[in-house]
Amino acid sequence: MDRLRRIIRPGGDANLVRIRRRKAVVSAISQRIKLIRLLLPVLGCIWLLALPSPRLGRNIYIDENALQPGNVNTYWSWGDVHNSDRYLEDLERLRDSNATNEQRAQYLSTEFRKIGMFSSTQNYHFTGTSQDINGTNTYAVLSSPRAPGVEAIIISASWVSRINDGNGTLNLRGVATVLGLANFLKQYSLWAKDLIFVINDGYLDGMQAWLSAYHGSVQSNLEVERLEISSGVVWTALNIDYPGHSFSHLGVFYEGLNGRLPNQDLMNSFHVICSRMGIPVVLYDHLDPRTYPDRRNELDWLPEWMPSALRDDSEVRAYAYNARNIRRHLAHQASGRGSGVHGLFHQFRIDAFTVFALPATGPHGFHALGRVVESTLRTANNLLERLHASFFFYIMTAPNRFLKIGNFLPSAILISVGLMFGGLKGWVDSGWILEHPDSTVKSESDAPKWTRRSRPVIRTLCIMTATHLLGVAMYLLMSSRWYTESSIGLPFVLAIVSVFAFGVSAIRSKGNREGEAPLSSVLKALNQCFASTIISATTVLNFSLAVALAVSLDLPLSISAASNSLSLRALKFSPYLLLSLGWTLALERLSWNWEFLGVWLFPFLCIVYFPLVLQAGIVCLL
Amino acid sequence: MHWRPLCLLVLGLFPSFAQTTSPHEQFDEELVVKSFQDGRVASTFTFKTLLTDASPRDPRTLALEDDEPQHYTLFPLTLGQLLRQYAITELHLTLNAGKWKYDSWGYPEAAGVGTGAELYAWLADGAPSSIDERWQGLRNALAGLFCASLGSLDEQRTTSPHLSFPPEGLLPDWDGLQHEIRHASHASEHVCTENLTPFLKLLPCKSLSGLASLLNPHRMFDADWHGIGLHVLWRPEGVEVRLNFQMVSDPLRPSGKKQDWSFRSLYDRSVDRACPVAKTSRTIVTLPDAVYSITPEPSAIESGKALYDLKNKSPNESFDMKLEWGSDFVYPQASLTSPLVPFTVQRKLHGPTQDRGQLALVLKNHEPHAIRVSYLETMPWLLQFYLHTIRIEVDGTRRDDLISNISYVLPVPHSRPATFHCILTLPGHSTVTYTIDVTKAFLMYTEHPPDAQRGWDLPPAVFVLLASSSEEGYTRSMGGVQEGSRVYTPSLLVDLATPDFSMPYNVIIFTCSVVAFIFGSIFNLLTRKFVVVRLDG
Repeated sequence: MDRLRRIIRPGGDANLVRIRRRKAVVSAISQRIKLIRLLLPVLGCIWLLALPSPRLGRNIYIDENALQPGNVNTYWSWGDVHNSDRYLEDLERLRDSNATNEQRAQYLSTEFRKIGMFSSTQNYHFTGTSQDINGTNTYAVLSSPRAPGVEAIIISASWVSRINDGNGTLNLRGVATVLGLANFLKQYSLWAKDLIFVINDGYLDGMQAWLSAYHGSVQSNLEVERLEISSGVVWTALNIDYPGHSFSHLGVFYEGLNGRLPNQDLMNSFHVICSRMGIPVVLYDHLDPRTYPDRRNELDWLPEWMPSALRDDSEVRAYAYNARNIRRHLAHQASGRGSGVHGLFHQFRIDAFTVFALPATGPHGFHALGRVVESTLRTANNLLERLHASFFFYIMTAPNRFLKIGNFLPSAILISVGLMFGGLKGWVDSGWILEHPDSTVKSESDAPKWTRRSRPVIRTLCIMTATHLLGVAMYLLMSSRWYTESSIGLPFVLAIVSVFAFGVSAIRSKGNREGEAPLSSVLKALNQCFASTIISATTVLNFSLAVALAVSLDLPLSISAASNSLSLRALKFSPYLLLSLGWTLALERLSWNWEFLGVWLFPFLCIVYFPLVLQAGIVCLL
Repeated sequence: MHWRPLCLLVLGLFPSFAQTTSPHEQFDEELVVKSFQDGRVASTFTFKTLLTDASPRDPRTLALEDDEPQHYTLFPLTLGQLLRQYAITELHLTLNAGKWKYDSWGYPEAAGVGTGAELYAWLADGAPSSIDERWQGLRNALAGLFCASLGSLDEQRTTSPHLSFPPEGLLPDWDGLQHEIRHASHASEHVCTENLTPFLKLLPCKSLSGLASLLNPHRMFDADWHGIGLHVLWRPEGVEVRLNFQMVSDPLRPSGKKQDWSFRSLYDRSVDRACPVAKTSRTIVTLPDAVYSITPEPSAIESGKALYDLKNKSPNESFDMKLEWGSDFVYPQASLTSPLVPFTVQRKLHGPTQDRGQLALVLKNHEPHAIRVSYLETMPWLLQFYLHTIRIEVDGTRRDDLISNISYVLPVPHSRPATFHCILTLPGHSTVTYTIDVTKAFLMYTEHPPDAQRGWDLPPAVFVLLASSSEEGYTRSMGGVQEGSRVYTPSLLVDLATPDFSMPYNVIIFTCSVVAFIFGSIFNLLTRKFVVVRLDG
């Protein structure tokens, strides 16, 4: 017993022991810093790859007891299906006669008024650098009886479906469903919240205009008519997308603008309702290849050459299916554009998702969709308060499984911590230098000695600030009309950036003082620390973007190093230039998103990402 | 079958009883039924009890022993006691559910249609207890009487907007004693059967006979809009108590084809017996312009209104009436272009953030000439105005000259609401937008309600149409609109910064950790002694 105590708490001064222990820990870490530096990103990447594993995550559940999903009888009947069919005929006639936006809106508004609702239309006009967008939205409000009308639920359908990212397929059946629902839901006095029916023109633009006008925060490039009819605070919204003739599954799209997600309880309720009604639910439009063995070649991404023992293993197949869902999620979230019209709602604290009727030859149609939507609205109607319970951080791996924040967040954080360790090591290394004592002069100790040297911090910070200012200038340039119209835009930017980088390297060669740490090492250290901070901070705002940053920045920022010959330096610099500006290939889409929807990925890439990579490039040039 | 002779006996006795024992009391009841252009039907029940030759209590006599006997036959005793105890001159209480749509329903028969509970009273000073103490006693007593949370109409909601709520009756002159108004409203108060039962108890015939027997809670509280009101006021004839129940039901809701209605379809009841003590018992039905048939034949038709007198009803048969239209109902297509009111108001709270926002009003004047309206906000301190940001625009051009006579009582955080009153001039056929920036309060954690967190309801704003200054003697005939009719906007819901109380442990753990961390570090730094330690030694 005594011996044990002596090991844990040896005799002597307690403080001395503590300091000694701390020193031992620090030296153990700093001696293995290279290993840790290498290990952390590898661990992070392994964690990332492990995310689709069916062993991680858990089944979905309903957190908010008030929701009570699927506990009501639904009354949507074949008569209502017939009504929707009649609306559909009218809509098809409008489509075939090439009706204008106004004619369409007028028709919809008239139909809403025939049902006895307040309805109105709203014209909008977006002014963009490359294109202008006009349109006319239609909306109607069903005031709930007995309620003061301070809370509302939105049921919406965009005129254009989300298929091919809003590229032309019309969402006629979705619109007909909304009209049919309006006709049907009015018969009941049980609504505690106002129901707002919105049929927006276009794909994303119409809803953006409508929502901005509703919330009184109209962006500068948008001219929009004031809404004649208003209602209360919107808590939930349901967007219906039904482009095909019939559907086999209902798909759920949920990612919003700038990486926002709706409260998971809403989608969980939808899943519970659908499973009670026997309507299969999928994530996005991803059918599970395990349920369709005959369509495996089309649905499964596992390559043919894989050994069949592995390829047919149930866990591998689950992994493959989950991986496909996660990859789609990461893409939608990182792009900041969201995955559909529902994404626009999240910026106003409205929980929303899109119900996408997966086009198929059957077996479901208006009847199934109407019942599901009715029941979902009843569930949303039950809410006494906003959905909360911090159910906003999740990744859906399958329709009924999800990853909690604790399961996925560490992956990106580990990579960013690795980067931070690299930066801190570079910082220490640049401030200390190991001097070997002169062998000719016998001194008292022959051990090599650490001596301090000063670091050119101010100059480094100046360079970093300059790169970010260059980023701002580039942002202004790229969002100007001249850039989009001229053909020499990109070469011009490349030239400016190169001139800037070589200019910086030329300046530094003059200013380097004796006994001072090289500028490149300090710049590299600070660059890594800064990048790591950015990644860590982004993880909670937009996890997918943080993952993308971590994966794309970790290696390039770690291996940047100066060299002697000018040609070698230029050679090293060029991949960094490519990496920093490669995204400009998708510039048109990025700037469209920023201009019309306020997706901050474009300015973020200009002002944060591009300078970070450029700094690493400059490190190579110095 | 023994009860029938007994009943007849009682019925025979009652009129004489009423006339002999209560010469100073008179009870009248009336039901007004009106169809709106959107097919809905409004029913307004009014029960009026007049205590002749009575006058409100002089507050100075509150210091003396109250030895005046209170013998009432028809007048509700509980209410009489309450009025005497707090020396209330005039009292108005309304409990409403729903949103009154002025656009398609016009002005209501009884003006108080603000969502939730609204209570205001005129009281004179001079009593040993202050006006505010009596006001507090009054609302607590009424809360008990009506089973409503009127106790929450505390000083955080009480204002004195004397311009928008002038006394409906007369104020007695007690040697120049000043009368003051106290007003409070609570938008999130709901009205239901527990409020209707005490309401019926105040009636002389309860719901056993007369028009009150139509007040069937199953139908009343399924209506699109419904509300009860209690009004006490003094006229030279005496003290009048007016109880009313308004409801707007939708006969089109189940079928959607025809807007026909009958007492059976609206209330699921019919009048079996007339109230024996009622002096008059009338039903007034506004007749439609279209082809219709009404049964039974009304006793009189005056200016498009059918009159029925239930006192003439034969005692054996129950009274039910029916109004049927010749054709199916079609919703009006241009419901927004032909409004029934001279001006419409839209009020919204913009700004999705939890600390700032903007209160926006859109006022539309449908008249060809300019009108003036008085605008009143009795805003709890949860929302605080920045008066310098008031901005008034007419069709895009700034017109700050349209606002005048601003009076503003500052809110006191955690105790007093703001009262903002001004007069707005609306040019003819124009849309006026009014915006003001607001800041949202940050609450102490004990101020958050313990129940579900849906946000805070803000009381409706009140608009009053004023006599037009430009056109002398202008009166409006359409829809029976009187100058001075109050218009209530719908209430608002404001989101304030709220911790997620559903995760109390996380909240507690986080805050405690932060506090402990900060305290620990600072304590350590303050108490630590720094010494040089020789490691090799």
